Amino acid sequence: MTTFSLTHRFRPSRREARPAARRLRPWYQNRSLVAGLVIVCIMVLLAVLAPVLAPYNPIKQNLNEALQGPSGAHWLGTDKLGRDVLSRLLYGARVDLRIGFLAVIIPFVVGTILGAIAGYFGGWLDIIIMRIVDVFYAFPLFLLVIALVFVLGPGESSIYLAIALVSWVSYCKIVRGEVIVARQQEYVQAARLGGLNNARVLGRHIGPNVISQAITYAMSDIVMDIMVIVTLGYLGLGITPPTAEWGSMIADAQEFITTLWWMAVVPGVAVVITGLGLSLIGDGLTDLLSPERRK
Amino acid sequence: MNRKLVSMVTVGALAVSGAALSGCASSSTKSGGASKSAGAPVHGGNLTIARAQDAKSMNNILTFDNSSIFIFEQIMEPLFTVTADGKATKPLLATGYKVSADKKTYTINLRKGVKFSTGKEMTSADVKFSIDQDTKHASTGWGFINSAIQQVQAAGKYTVVIKLKHAWAPLIADLALFSNAIVPNNYDGKTMAEFYQAPVGTGPFKWGQWKRGEYLKLVANTGYWQKGKPYLDSVTWNVVPDSNTRKLQVQGGQADIDEYPDWSTFKSLGTGSNVIAKTFPSTELDYLAFNEKKKPFQDVHVRRAISAMIDRSAINKAVLFGNGTPANSLLMPGVPFYQKSTPGIMKNDALAKKELAASSVPKGFSTTLLIPSGDASKLSTAQIIQNDLQQYNIKVTIKQLDPTANHNAQQNMQYDMGLSAWTMDIPDPDEWTSFAIDPDGGAKSAYTNYRSAEAIKLNRQAQQSVDHSTRAELYNQLQDVVAHDAPFAFLYYAPYAYGVSDKVQNFNVTPLGNYPLTDVWKSK
Amino acid sequence: MLSRLKFVPMRLLQAVPVAFGVTLVVFFMVHLIPGNPAESILGAQATPAKVAALTDQMGLNQPVVQQYWHFLSNLAHGNLGESYTYQVPVLTLVWQRAPVTLLLVAYSVVLMLIISIPLSMLAASRPGHVRDHAVRVIPLVGLGMPQFWVGVMLLLVFAVGTGWFPVGGYGDTMMDHLWYLFLPALTLAISISPVIIRSLRASMLNVLESDYVATARSKGAGGRSLFAGHVLRNAIIPAVSIVGVNLGYLVGGTLVIEKVFAIPGLGSMLIESIFARDFPSVQAVALFVAVFVVLVGVLTDVVYTLLDPRVDLTQRMNA
Repeated sequence: MTTFSLTHRFRPSRREARPAARRLRPWYQNRSLVAGLVIVCIMVLLAVLAPVLAPYNPIKQNLNEALQGPSGAHWLGTDKLGRDVLSRLLYGARVDLRIGFLAVIIPFVVGTILGAIAGYFGGWLDIIIMRIVDVFYAFPLFLLVIALVFVLGPGESSIYLAIALVSWVSYCKIVRGEVIVARQQEYVQAARLGGLNNARVLGRHIGPNVISQAITYAMSDIVMDIMVIVTLGYLGLGITPPTAEWGSMIADAQEFITTLWWMAVVPGVAVVITGLGLSLIGDGLTDLLSPERRK
Repeated sequence: MNRKLVSMVTVGALAVSGAALSGCASSSTKSGGASKSAGAPVHGGNLTIARAQDAKSMNNILTFDNSSIFIFEQIMEPLFTVTADGKATKPLLATGYKVSADKKTYTINLRKGVKFSTGKEMTSADVKFSIDQDTKHASTGWGFINSAIQQVQAAGKYTVVIKLKHAWAPLIADLALFSNAIVPNNYDGKTMAEFYQAPVGTGPFKWGQWKRGEYLKLVANTGYWQKGKPYLDSVTWNVVPDSNTRKLQVQGGQADIDEYPDWSTFKSLGTGSNVIAKTFPSTELDYLAFNEKKKPFQDVHVRRAISAMIDRSAINKAVLFGNGTPANSLLMPGVPFYQKSTPGIMKNDALAKKELAASSVPKGFSTTLLIPSGDASKLSTAQIIQNDLQQYNIKVTIKQLDPTANHNAQQNMQYDMGLSAWTMDIPDPDEWTSFAIDPDGGAKSAYTNYRSAEAIKLNRQAQQSVDHSTRAELYNQLQDVVAHDAPFAFLYYAPYAYGVSDKVQNFNVTPLGNYPLTDVWKSK
Repeated sequence: MLSRLKFVPMRLLQAVPVAFGVTLVVFFMVHLIPGNPAESILGAQATPAKVAALTDQMGLNQPVVQQYWHFLSNLAHGNLGESYTYQVPVLTLVWQRAPVTLLLVAYSVVLMLIISIPLSMLAASRPGHVRDHAVRVIPLVGLGMPQFWVGVMLLLVFAVGTGWFPVGGYGDTMMDHLWYLFLPALTLAISISPVIIRSLRASMLNVLESDYVATARSKGAGGRSLFAGHVLRNAIIPAVSIVGVNLGYLVGGTLVIEKVFAIPGLGSMLIESIFARDFPSVQAVALFVAVFVVLVGVLTDVVYTLLDPRVDLTQRMNA
């Protein structure tokens, strides 16, 4: 059978091995994964320890010290209302990481399950699920999220709901595609012919192999969710003030982009580093879980 | 006066931003670029104005938003216009008027030889038609402003007689409003909708082209009755929603005027470029409204206490970057009869504590503050107020709604406290006072439900007295009463801000927010 | 196995239920809004009498099914209502603005490919090498920077600083358009390139591992000629698909980009309409964008299928 998936007739030894039985390098030798984990762990640690580390109360105003550059008293300067930027950054990590991680869970679970079902069983189930996916996919993420948050009113719960409603679709598409590819590979075919029931095949043989793609995507999805919050902040639909949050910090700094440009850079860098860490984890996981994708 | 619709005024009247010390000339901050010597006016050139929002409609009697008003004012002119200080009127298409002894009949003489841009001469028939059209649409447009008018008569080709139902001090001010601008009789045979697709007037500019969402262009009316004017060949309003982009366009020379610069970068506008950051005295009052239908705001002590907790100079510094003035009165310095000595409550710790102790909630309470989303200034103001009140154990949650929902919530009295602003459209305080303190005017006292028999009585007397000093006395008393009752915490008066290229000469904004472009010219 | 020619009409047919689904979403978008839409629409001008009249006029008292049917039949007649803001038919506005956004999106796809293909080739040619890591990591910076920030920075440097490009706007002629839209298209391309580079790199690695490359290698082909001849050609095919899949993201990006660069397209129209509660405009833009994305989806699938003989049509059918 010729499919887009690539069978390796020239390297039969590798292909014949079942994924679970593959000899793998231990995870700690995977540089991407380790680097990513270190970055993300540091971010999480900073977020958790924010109350200890932050030199000031993140919402405490000091209008006499507004818009100051970095100094000994305020390492990263102060914002328009004289609040300490470093403290806001640390406390902001709590909000953004929380929203980023939490907002991904429901779409991940729902999308993965539906995608696996559609890809594995095919037929009408596949057609119906994929048509629903197509409908949601037709609307740009931002369009639906903005419209939904607008309808539901700004706030954290609206953001969760809007993201959940919209972003399961991507997981569904990715997982379905992977399942279709996996299903046609020899070891799965063999397992099916060998009489294993569907749940076992899906869970034991296909699952671990395809989930890595979903996890990899989840890492960039977290970044995407943070960007959604940032953009909602730009449009004035973000997190309720005065809560410190990277998105609203960037949105607040937007007024000063042409004068105090670094104000938008500081929270931006936090987003970038987090995104980098998560992407590295994603890469590392791909290495670890489906090494045939990598050299 | 029927004020049912005056509510809509706020939407339109939320002009740029504004402060204003009475009658002072425009001030400008210049931090860079040499000012080109003005010299004698030069003809020619296109003026490009970068603005946040597109116009909505050219219908001058039904449209309430400034982005439309600023444009159609260049096309259609009223009989009278506002003086540069915004406090009085002067004849424009009229040459003068006489008032009868009973103050109920006004005889207005029209300027001769004024032509519409179609070439047809303007006569009393056009004037009667225009004012009648406005009055007729009182329920959906600005016509409420004409509610004292009983009849308009075209007495002679160049004479119009207006009969009033009762003495009405603001009449000439009302006639100076853009909704009473003169259009051709019977819309030159067109329907109203057709006519406003490409409106015709006597103004310095005539209709050009409108690409909705992109730009609107007007071209010079070569037959304009003020000979030799306008100087410009054309004016283009470009829609540039992002404030940073507008600023960069003016600095880069792509636009001549930034209609709506951010206060946060206002001073830096002129840095290293040929742009002048200009402020003009305005009639803008920003205030915190208390909904007296919600507890505990019906308690005057609570309102006074909160008014005394707010640090207005901090708001002025953080939000307006020092460009505004803390507000002390219901009226604005740019409005006739503003009383400088009105004892509006300012930040006062002792007073705040005293009033709170005397109130129904001496130990503090929790409440919400409603603001429209996407407004950086209001967001900062709200956070400062939140912080100020926190120190007296009043916990404020900021609630953001999109602008329309925010407005609906205020109208339906579904809020606790809210941030609002007002600018005047006519040079008479009545427009605002009737809206703000007369609960029977339809706006429930600017949606606060404030009801003071004394204030209502003073306002009605002031409406009907034509004598200037009597009105002044009545408005002084009114301002004192409102300052004491604190239905609003007056926050600040903000000036209008514009970023103007130094090539643009004679660009001026009246305190009512209009910027006539008749005399504007561009140096080479 | 289906014949390739038969696949095309089948795939088109498949878009029909999706289009219906899209109309459902668009229809309910407005009906989700809390409170009476008529009241929201009238906004400042709402009086009880007017609300009642508009409720009646909009058919809001009718059963939802009937309202939806009414919506569909209007749609069939090309009637999407009048913009509340401008009081002109929304379709006129959409037709005026759609070409702008389409040009912007197409432009950014071109720039994106110009950025992504060489970089992903660079990465895939030496997997695990420093340059592979660099290519994969550096663009991530673009992913973490908000689009409006990148946009303003580009304006500061390349429009105000050097004067090479105008500060926002759209221009009048086609040459103007390409000049005005360069920075916004670049902003959009920068924001999506990390995703594309990763996907392209992965598909290039797949191709490198595949049978026929191995065959080519065994026949002695190597180095550049192998890359250009086999890998690139075969990696372009998935690239088409990746662009198709990310089209929604690109169109979504125009919402913010058009605001920053003052471009009179659908994105800025949508934002304006949402904030003005101009529901017919919101519906029209959403509908147009969704139908466009669906059609391009069909198109990329067809192109993909016709280009790549290895694609299993029965599987693609349901994709």
